Amino acid sequence: MLLSISWRNIWRHPARSGVLMAAIIAGIWAGILVSALTNGWIQQRFNNLIQEEITHAQVHHPEFLMEREVSMYVDDAHEIFSFLNGNERVKAYAGRTLSDGMIQSPLTSSGVQIRGVEPDRERGTTTFHENIIDGDYLDADMRNPILLGEKLTEKLNVDIGNRIVLTFQDLDNELTSASFIISGIFRTASTPYDERNVFVKAEDLQELLGGDIYHEVAIMLHDENLVEGLAADLNSSFDHIVAESWYELSPELRYISDMGGNLIVYIMGVIMLALAFGILNTMLMAIFERMKELGMLLAIGMSKVRVFLMIMMESVILTLSGTVVGLILTYLTLEYVGEKGFDMTSMGGESMAQFGYDAVVYPVAFMNDYITTIILVVITALLAAIYPAVKALRLKPGEVVRD
Amino acid sequence: MAIITTHNLSKVYNPETVPVHALRDVNLEFEEGEFTTVRGPSGSGKTTLLNMIGGLDTPSSGYVEVDGTRITGMKDRALIDFRLNNIGFVFQAYNLIPVFTAFENVSFIMLLQKWDKQKMKARAEELLTAVGLKGKFESRPKQLSGGEQQRVAVARALASQPKFILADEPTANLDTDSAMNLLDMMEKMNREENVTFIFSTHDQRVIDRARRVITMVDGAIHKDETKLSP
Repeated sequence: MLLSISWRNIWRHPARSGVLMAAIIAGIWAGILVSALTNGWIQQRFNNLIQEEITHAQVHHPEFLMEREVSMYVDDAHEIFSFLNGNERVKAYAGRTLSDGMIQSPLTSSGVQIRGVEPDRERGTTTFHENIIDGDYLDADMRNPILLGEKLTEKLNVDIGNRIVLTFQDLDNELTSASFIISGIFRTASTPYDERNVFVKAEDLQELLGGDIYHEVAIMLHDENLVEGLAADLNSSFDHIVAESWYELSPELRYISDMGGNLIVYIMGVIMLALAFGILNTMLMAIFERMKELGMLLAIGMSKVRVFLMIMMESVILTLSGTVVGLILTYLTLEYVGEKGFDMTSMGGESMAQFGYDAVVYPVAFMNDYITTIILVVITALLAAIYPAVKALRLKPGEVVRD
Repeated sequence: MAIITTHNLSKVYNPETVPVHALRDVNLEFEEGEFTTVRGPSGSGKTTLLNMIGGLDTPSSGYVEVDGTRITGMKDRALIDFRLNNIGFVFQAYNLIPVFTAFENVSFIMLLQKWDKQKMKARAEELLTAVGLKGKFESRPKQLSGGEQQRVAVARALASQPKFILADEPTANLDTDSAMNLLDMMEKMNREENVTFIFSTHDQRVIDRARRVITMVDGAIHKDETKLSP
């Protein structure tokens, strides 16, 4: 009975209810879309850093990240490899030999970080190889192959097959130079990264440095939640190393993740606040124009509890109707945009790439977002309807039925 | 035995600022089957008296008894239940639920009383037929004339099988034909089914039909006349 009367009451003024529903639909659509874009943005950034480079955990010489001295390599790297080989938490790992140096083309030179990697292990550990846009990865059949970022090739005015010279300090603190042939060009989401990093084979770099050394061991786990335990085990099992999780290595990533979560809360909060005022306004108008009728209902014997419930139900049904339509519209939008991605190039996407963010964002909405939205909307509808409902209960039927 | 008794009923509005005496020591008794009109000029206290009898307002002093139950001072919830099961209301402006059909408007009060569905349907149809609205069960209020809406209101008031019906200016918004038809219908129900009607009105057409006429002036009973025949 109450459901039927509430539903019909909503449609007394189709235009007014329609406007409120449209506001709810637009609010939910915009809220979840922004939330999905933020999720996608963070997930892409996370993938870019974790999957392509940082991995879940890394092992270094305790001072390497601060000093970046070539002599600060990981002691007993091969024993660490053995430890990781037998650890069931570990999905894959790769040793890296690192050095800072200069890259020189016939035209110009530039400071770079030289990253010596084991192609097979690196391929199994990170997805960096997917960033190759021209040429081949380091397992190409050539001597001293090197990968350059697209931005750097433009700066040096070089191309696939060209020779460049790398100059860096070896383990004896002597400057050493070697010629490398460009085997491939990569492009990541971060143009500064592409400009500052070059990739060579670890064995080539080790030969030039003068030792079978690794400065970094990158580790991917089957479950990232186990990272703290693994880092603790490594730190307790080996001396003169420090094993750290991704969020210790890249606190900014955790900050972005937290900030994204907060942003969603703020956006939904603003939408819900606007929605609450919309509902409050609509329900108050509905109460004021039906005072005589509500007075009649109280006079003939409808209990105050039922009158209260009727008004609350009107608010919830009206809001939920808009919510269902809004969620369907949002789902369809995300299905469409989710495949093609949302190209933000014209909205400063290029600038975002300077900070390591993709210009094309693929929105990601979780079931949780939909459920949370429905719960928030229902709570908002209930809270916003309390005042009008209480106002209705305070009516004096003897006075209002005659007015 | 009286079904309604008022004992020294008084009502003062704004007692602290500008006191308005709406009722002054009203003592009345109403028997079952009465067809009574409370008349008087505007502000004489007619509606206030009906509101007190119907439990829609509380007196400043005195009390009302309905069928031996003192309704003055009852708690809100108990009073609403009491009204639902004992009193029928007909208002000047009909006050039907606009989103309901005539049938639903009449059934609504029985739904509140938790009637069996079949019995409720039968009674709603019977009452609407009795008030001359057969064939208009599915009409919404805005599809009915003023007179027809007031007939639905009377059917609604009767639906809960109340002890009496309070009708506040029921003919005020009706043209002569509609008013006469409505009065015919209510008079017939009073004679044939012994339904008790108490009107508040200054409409002479209603006063002429009443068997008892109570005249109020300035909140007090000025005259209480019983006619031998209407």
